[in-house]
Amino acid sequence: MARVYNWQLGREMSYWYPERRPKRQFAAVFDTNKCIACQTCTLACKTTWTSGKGQEYMLWNNVETKPYGFYPLGWDLNLLEKLGAQDWDGGQYAGRTIFEAAQPGERVLGWRPEDIDYASPNVGEDDCAGGVEKGAHFTGVHNSWFFYLARMCNHCTYPACLSSCPRSAIYKRPEDGIVLIDQGSCRGYQECVKACPYKKTFFNAMTGTSEKCIACFPKIESGMQPQCFVNCIGKIRFAGWISRPESARADNPIDFLVHVKKVALPLFPQFGLEPNVYYIPPMNVPREFLAQMFGPGVDQALEAYRNAPRDKDLAGLLTLFGSTEAIVAKWKRVEEQVIGYDESGKEIIRVPLREPTHIRQAFDAARGVARTNVS
Amino acid sequence: MKPRHFIFLAAVLSASALAGCGKKEPPVSEAEVKAVFEKSLPSTVDDKVWERVPAHPAKLLLQDMVEPRLLQASTPFVRVQSVTDGRKVAFLLTWKDATLDDVPGPALFGDACAVQLPATTAADVPAPQMGEDGKTVEITYWSAIFQASVNGRKDDIHALYPRAAVDHYPFEAPSLKAGSPPQQEMAKRYAPARGAENPMAGPRTVPVQDLLADGPGTIRFAEKTVSSGSGKYSGGGWTVLLVRPLPNGAQPGGRTQVAFAVWEGSRQEVGARKMRTAWIPLSLGSAQ
Repeated sequence: MARVYNWQLGREMSYWYPERRPKRQFAAVFDTNKCIACQTCTLACKTTWTSGKGQEYMLWNNVETKPYGFYPLGWDLNLLEKLGAQDWDGGQYAGRTIFEAAQPGERVLGWRPEDIDYASPNVGEDDCAGGVEKGAHFTGVHNSWFFYLARMCNHCTYPACLSSCPRSAIYKRPEDGIVLIDQGSCRGYQECVKACPYKKTFFNAMTGTSEKCIACFPKIESGMQPQCFVNCIGKIRFAGWISRPESARADNPIDFLVHVKKVALPLFPQFGLEPNVYYIPPMNVPREFLAQMFGPGVDQALEAYRNAPRDKDLAGLLTLFGSTEAIVAKWKRVEEQVIGYDESGKEIIRVPLREPTHIRQAFDAARGVARTNVS
Repeated sequence: MKPRHFIFLAAVLSASALAGCGKKEPPVSEAEVKAVFEKSLPSTVDDKVWERVPAHPAKLLLQDMVEPRLLQASTPFVRVQSVTDGRKVAFLLTWKDATLDDVPGPALFGDACAVQLPATTAADVPAPQMGEDGKTVEITYWSAIFQASVNGRKDDIHALYPRAAVDHYPFEAPSLKAGSPPQQEMAKRYAPARGAENPMAGPRTVPVQDLLADGPGTIRFAEKTVSSGSGKYSGGGWTVLLVRPLPNGAQPGGRTQVAFAVWEGSRQEVGARKMRTAWIPLSLGSAQ
């Protein structure tokens, strides 16, 4: 195994291949606080990419309710249990990654879901972490909690799927860091299904090969965000490019959110894959749970998020979410307006920091009727 | 022969036949696989010729050289018989397997076997584990999943999950005439591996694939699969016939090497997770 640097862990780690970062890395930020689990992202992906035979059960994108929702069943808990309790030493991970904890004869610590594990995509939906006492909602204190976790392939810097494939049929594109399975050479060993901790590779029984999210690369190549992003009702998603921390640019939206404001965090960074989908953590969830899921930066992220009403730059950038189908490569705020630019520096979107408020009178005097939502 | 002696001999012969369930046990060849010369190759696993072709009991070893390794032994032996007609060589592989595994799916793997030969017959043989750089090996791979498909199981979710409900496949819309070229073309686009011409995806007419390799992790599809085969599960085990061309330089009356592998699907053996042999000498019979 090679030694590579994983900035999310703050240290070097062991990986099957030497460090070779792409020219630029596709990345995304999801704001969990805005997700309503409508599954429009799931359907957008499903209808675009997985309508074929053998793909019936595949959800390259899904939204699950945490803590009791999973697809496949127990995808995170099973691996956390296998890995065992691990520690962070401040910002540096002191535990073992799934590469470092691989069992003898294996490249990665993993497990294989069975077909029954894919049989309940809605398990745990809207289930709270505890019982809701009668009248609890009137007090304003939420003793019980849940949140929605939208998930897709993380197009990891150190993909476990790629690492585990004995045929080298999985590759990371040097131009954009998107991770793909070569459908011409895969032989369906399902090593990637076993290795991916996020369980975002799927075996197609009709073609005998494994398949996964392709980040809608034909759209990316045209400067567009993927389907699950642009169809998001809650406008929780934002796609772009991430730099390494030492070369972060404040005018790069993803860099600003991840590196400058540190408001968005990777999913289970302790697994060691340097995943490239970043989450603004939910505000109403116990910190211990969030720390396990998003690492040691949770307190700082939530503090920054809670301060957004007073932070015009952060609030401004969050208004760009879901505002355009195009990938915003650069951005800036000019007083009360936020402007997004494409790669060439051309303006592609301009939104106000605050939408103007219009108040309609309840009674329409001109027509002599009380207004309803449609009048 | 006196009548009393004749009756005794007949009784002994009858008992022997019953003990073998009607099948005569073939002679044993411990040291090598002997490919017996026959004018025409047997086309089924039940062909009578197998009763007289010497059987080599090949000991299977763990593939524990490269990751992912198999660390717990499963199938201990495979019995190998072979026949050649001077152009092709047929192998009959027989091994015990308590479970029939021929259904694909998440964490489901099929029983399988393979035969490997050096692509070029020379004194300096390739490494037995999938060959090595510059020393290619030719492999013929049989899978129980492929066999079930060839035997008539549809490549359809209902063949695996009879109660599955599917609302709609875009390529089976009523506006498309079933089986028409545009409909077939569209169906192919919805099966990525098929669109990429990956032989894993079928449709298949034979349950085998011809493969090439130059070392572990380098396996690739031969330009075309010209081998054939068939497998039959009965009596707690598999009997598989593989018929393939003789590799380059292998002549009737000559010698080369051969190796075998067996995968036990119920133990999630797939790819490098397999039981395999080292090289075994293969003598090729000739017409003389």
